[in-house]
Amino acid sequence: MTTLQELPQVRGVKNIPLQEGFTSGHRTCQGCESALTMRLMIKAAGPRTIVVGSTGCMYVANTTYYSTPWVVPWMHTQLGSSGSAATGTAAGLASMMRKGKMKDEPINVIAFCGDGGGVDMGLAGISAALQHDEYNLLILCYDNESYANTDIQVSGSSPWGANSTFSPPGKVHRIMNRRWKKNTAPMLAAGHPSCRYVATACASYGLDFTNKVRRALTIGGPTFIHVIDPCPKGWDYDPKYSHELGMLAVETGLWVQYEIADGELILSGPSRAIGNGVRHRKPVREYLQRQGRFAHLTEEDLEFFQGRVDDSWEKWWIPGIVPFSPPAGDGA
Amino acid sequence: MSTVAVEVVYRGIFQKTLARNIVRSIVFAARKEGKYGTAFGRYGDSPERNGIPAKQFAIVADDAEELEENLAVYEAQEVDVTINVDDTMCKGIESWAWYGLQPINALTKPGGTLIVTSRQETDALIEDIHRKDEPYNLSVLTSVPSFSGLWVYKDDHTDVRILGALAKVCPQLVSLESMVEAIQDQGWDDLKVRSAERAYERAGLRPVEPGEGNDETPFTFDLPGWTTMEEGLVIRGIEQGGGFRGAEGGYQPVRNSVFKKYSTRSMRPIVNFETCIKCTLCWLQCPDTCFDVTPDGLYDANLESCCGCGVCEAVCPVPECVTMINEAEFNDNASQYEAWQQNPEGYKQWMASLIEGEKKVERTHGFHHVGGYDEQLAAAGED
Repeated sequence: MTTLQELPQVRGVKNIPLQEGFTSGHRTCQGCESALTMRLMIKAAGPRTIVVGSTGCMYVANTTYYSTPWVVPWMHTQLGSSGSAATGTAAGLASMMRKGKMKDEPINVIAFCGDGGGVDMGLAGISAALQHDEYNLLILCYDNESYANTDIQVSGSSPWGANSTFSPPGKVHRIMNRRWKKNTAPMLAAGHPSCRYVATACASYGLDFTNKVRRALTIGGPTFIHVIDPCPKGWDYDPKYSHELGMLAVETGLWVQYEIADGELILSGPSRAIGNGVRHRKPVREYLQRQGRFAHLTEEDLEFFQGRVDDSWEKWWIPGIVPFSPPAGDGA
Repeated sequence: MSTVAVEVVYRGIFQKTLARNIVRSIVFAARKEGKYGTAFGRYGDSPERNGIPAKQFAIVADDAEELEENLAVYEAQEVDVTINVDDTMCKGIESWAWYGLQPINALTKPGGTLIVTSRQETDALIEDIHRKDEPYNLSVLTSVPSFSGLWVYKDDHTDVRILGALAKVCPQLVSLESMVEAIQDQGWDDLKVRSAERAYERAGLRPVEPGEGNDETPFTFDLPGWTTMEEGLVIRGIEQGGGFRGAEGGYQPVRNSVFKKYSTRSMRPIVNFETCIKCTLCWLQCPDTCFDVTPDGLYDANLESCCGCGVCEAVCPVPECVTMINEAEFNDNASQYEAWQQNPEGYKQWMASLIEGEKKVERTHGFHHVGGYDEQLAAAGED
């Protein structure tokens, strides 16, 4: 196993490093939250980092013909292979260092994937990567809830009812995406008991996200972070609301922020306040009605949506995270 | 025997439906006259990104063979009419890296026409548009640029008004009658037909003489050829950043030198350095890394890399500390911090006048909430 970098937790937003590893000049949309996720991710990780990116917006838009905004080394990998590329890169580094072919120093390995690459196609590869305890790596899934690069097709992470190229609302069938969003991070946490760190985050909460990246890179072994990224193109809203919609996703209880470190679950930010009952969830309609992809929803649909979110907080074993109940009579 | 080519230059995603409505209707109208036509988007613009300038074309020919000669091209060599649906693109457009800044009238034929939707005066627009060696005509359609999104279209009649004006300024393309038929065929109501007819009546031409206009030389690059590319398609990373403008303190990242992105911007932030509380939020939440950190802890928007998303204004906790202003008000990308340092009082007045002016014209960038477009259209109707 290679050594780990020292990346202390950042106390206060003013102590976030100034140094950039992902700079200007990328062909993303105005207000692209995924670009912000990339920027903050590498800010947290620092310059001694190798980034591997699977196909998606953050590949295509960031490597516009023979140019790049990356300061740190970056390499493209295929759509479904963020997990295997991360393992391969970490294993390669470990082997080169063991053989003395390169200096033995701590180097962060991060592989990112979109929800198409991570939640759909690359899930098996990520699962395999999270089993290889001997390699230090982070897999970061930036989730804009669709295949946004190819003009918004449904992914396993698209929410119920959302308009997309694959689910346009019609006169006869109003709701064309009838699948509920996949519960990815808890699935990976539950399925890989030896994986020491799984977290969810949002770049709208920049400090929280920075610290989660740092914890993931310093705890040891393979880790996974799932980040929700409001997408002005696919969600159809004025780009200036990217930050606000990220916050609304959390405040409505639709996106739960937490970290699972060494088997312990800790809710973070507003999710923790909601979980503790200190804060009420905002109505989901406040979030849905701000987005053009949900403009066709009727009152009935909004109530249905709210009902599903209420259930996840009121009926699930672990509110918002584990969607089943303990065996009868055992108590939880 | 003749071919007529029209290009629509538009803001990616925001005006995608608008551009499609225009180029398709042109082809539908041409078919009414027994001509042949095709409408297509520039291949390289896909996947489109919000705000990044993109193009769609309509080519109309007398027979199928002639049309074929003009197909399978990346971008037409020259067009009879250029339609620009957002006046801030008059300053030039940069679509991709190594592309440089393309003047808005780059493809407009000698004697051709540039149609612009704008509320600016014609002469103010000519100041922005790069000069050409050949004469061409400018036709201004008075309108606030129409922006919507991928799923919900703001039907403010900009599409049919442009079609009406187009029939007037380019009669060799199609007649107004065919255009009206094409509008009706698409199930659009009589109000839209009337909007097209009114635009036809009002459309005027302002001849632009050779050499008239913006004398700036648009920035260009040499595209690396295959012999100059590095082995294994290695692309050199960006250098580490350092102190603010070469100074000890602060921080300034090095940026991608071949893709600047500022032509994506239709609004820009102006910063009040005196009321700034240094909370870091504009800098932290900027997806484009556009804020340089000054030695005294202020944040100066680097206007070569700002694409005008407006997140900085949205996150700033101080009223009118960061304010988004219509890009048409500006003629350069100079540093605001330096301007403020040189003349704090003058900067304050300049800023106040811009903010005051901004309140008069609402410029929206897409969907705000369900029913929002209807409210905007109703409010516009009352004017």
